[in-house]
Parts: sequence; C-alpha cells; structure tokens
Amino acid sequence: MATDDLTLVKRVRSGDQRAFKLLVERYQRKVYAVALGMLKDKEEAMDVSQEAFVKVYKYLDHFKGDSSFYTWLYRITVNICIDVIRKRGGGGEAVEFDESQAMDLSEARIGALGSRLGTNPQKSALRRELAEKIQEALATVPEKHRAILLLREIEGMSYEDLSRTLEIPKGTVMSRLFHARAKVQKILSEYLELDEAKSGVGSE
Amino acid sequence: MDMAGNPACEQFVPRLSPYVDGELTPAERVTVERHLSACRDCTGRAADLRAESGLLRVGLDMAVDDVDFKDFAQKVMARVTPERPPLLERLKLSLSEMFLYQRTAMISSLATAAVLVAVGLPLLMSDRAPEGYAAERMTVKAIQPYENARVAPVVMETDNGGTIIWLVDEETRDGSSPGSEDEELEEEIGGGMSPDGAGTKKPARPATDAPRPSGGTL
Repeated sequence: MATDDLTLVKRVRSGDQRAFKLLVERYQRKVYAVALGMLKDKEEAMDVSQEAFVKVYKYLDHFKGDSSFYTWLYRITVNICIDVIRKRGGGGEAVEFDESQAMDLSEARIGALGSRLGTNPQKSALRRELAEKIQEALATVPEKHRAILLLREIEGMSYEDLSRTLEIPKGTVMSRLFHARAKVQKILSEYLELDEAKSGVGSE
Repeated sequence: MDMAGNPACEQFVPRLSPYVDGELTPAERVTVERHLSACRDCTGRAADLRAESGLLRVGLDMAVDDVDFKDFAQKVMARVTPERPPLLERLKLSLSEMFLYQRTAMISSLATAAVLVAVGLPLLMSDRAPEGYAAERMTVKAIQPYENARVAPVVMETDNGGTIIWLVDEETRDGSSPGSEDEELEEEIGGGMSPDGAGTKKPARPATDAPRPSGGTL
C-alpha cells in the first residue's frame, strides 16, 4: 500500500528528500491538469505546476496537519493560476456571473450532451477537437468558478473539501459549480450540434 | 421562460448538480428522485450534467497524456534542494577542509606522494621499461639518488658481464678529507661517470639523450 500523504510530509520535514519526490510524483498529473484547465496554455500550466510544488516545499512548515495535504497543494496551485491570469490583464477573459439572476432554464438543448455522449464518455470515443473545445469552454467561465469545476472533476473533491480548499462556504461551492456547469454545458452542446450539422453524423 | 410544462423545475434545477455529485442529504435526494421520475426534462438535464462531468474529466486526462512527466519531479527536486557548487569548487572546498582538520594526515600523504614522484618519475621518463626484468641479463640504464643524498652513483661493468654500482660519498670531494681511496678510484675510472663539478648536490637527472653508462675498466 502506498504511504499516505501526511506520513510523507512528516518524512520531508525530517529531511527526507525522497519523500517529497514521491509526493510530487503522486500529484504532478492532477496539478498540471488543474493548471491547464485554468490557464489553457500548456507551457504556463507546466511552469505553474512546478512553481506550486516548489512553493509547497518552501512553506511545508506552515502546513498544518488539520487539513489534507492535497487541499493545501491545490489551493496553492489555484492561487498561482489566478495570479497568472490577473497578470495577463484583461483580454477576453470570462465575465463574472451575476449569481443573483435566476438561471435561464429555457435551453432548447436539454439532453443534448447526455444523449450524444452517454453519461460516462470514454477516452477512445472522444475526438481530439472535442478535448480542445473543452478547454475553450472552460476559458469562458470566471476563474473562481473554473477552479471549483476543475477540482471537482479532476480530483473528485467533495463540496466539503472544495469549501476548505478555496476557503468559501459550502453554499457558494454549490452555486458556483452549478453556474460553471451550465456555462460549459451550453458551449459544448452548441459545439456538438454544430459539429453534427457539419458532418451529418450522429453520436459516435 | 419556457419551463417545459413543469413549474417545479425551477426549484429542482439548481439541485441537480449536487444530486449528480452525490452531495444531497438522503431526504433531499428522495425529493429530487421523485421529481425526476415525473420530469423528462430534468432527467435529461441530469444526464447532461453527468455527460459533461465525464467529458471534462476524460478531455483533460487526454490533454495531460500529451505531456511527458519523465523529468518533472527531477526538475522540482533540483529547485528545492540546496544548490551544489560545481565540481572544482567542491574539490577546493574539501581540500581546504582537509588542510584545516587533517593536517597531519595531509602532510604524510604529501610526503608519500613526493617519494612516489621521485621513484616513479625516472621510470616513467625513460623511453621504455628498464630492460632485463625477468630476463637473464639485466642492464642498468640509469641511477638517480634522492635529492640531497650524499652519494653519487658510479656504474661499472665487470669482465664477465656483471655490473658493479658504486655509491661514492660526495662528502669526500668537498675537500674536507682529501686523498682518500675514493678519489683515487675516481681518477682510475676517468671520472666520466662521476657527477660533474665538485660538491654540487643536485640530483643527476637522467637525461634521455645521455650516453648509456658503460663503465670503465677496473
């Protein structure tokens, strides 16, 4: 069985460098995936991922064992990403949602994604353009909403963990997740519809 | 707003996201499921949410597959471990540490090195290995005393092919004790093989172009 995170953290603190390498190897893919989802740019995502681990190492003494190591790691990752996005300045970034406004439920495409992709899409059935489209769709979501959506989908974090990671109330987690999903869903189903109209082929 | 004929949807739609995430309380869950069984639209919406969730997960996973993480951890480790100075610096450092803390050991090892140089260098500098090792007949090519040695070597060949090596005490040629047997001997052999000049204590460096010592007649 793999050694748990907190044991590895303790080892790092007592000077065991290899333990930190194990932690890096354990989370590198997911940290990168979050960074890529946040930033869309591969190189930036790679730099941010490296930076996140370096920061984690540097501030390991500040890490209190009362939360999970990974929530702390992702908080650092997300914060670096948000810094990078802010430094980029404006330029077509997502517009904040007005959450006070009721959701528009009149979507004509109800069931569009589900009927085309099934509820459990497989990698083999997914086309590369669609994978790229996902990143475009994510970019239209405000960064705070995007972070929640990514952590939920990539890491499968519970609402409780999301609330702790991003230091926001659980209710906010729920509503941000809902809005983020609605936005991404709209773009993806539009894309799928367009794609079908072009090729005249149904679901794969 | 077109509520697809079911006004209840407005209150259920925001709950579908936590529903597919398994984040509703058991009581809320039952309520939502009851609505779903009666509402085709919300069933479709729930299916869309699951599809989207899977799509994001799989899509990002595909993007991550394109990346080579072979050196990733290594690069991070290089950034977090204290920088190692270049090899030369490390060598200098460890040498100076040796001088600081292990002076005695250092000096004795330096002395050993000096002896090795004195003995080994003439062997290495001769154009080939001294003839005669493991051979029946051995030829002496050169003799070199240590620096400051008070002897000068003289090589002679006997009638039957043997070699006699004389170690002449140089002290006698300083004029302090003239008229000794050694001087006579030197005259006899012609002085060609004795160190040139009187009283110089410089070692006779084996010159590669020097004539091979053949000795004189007794």
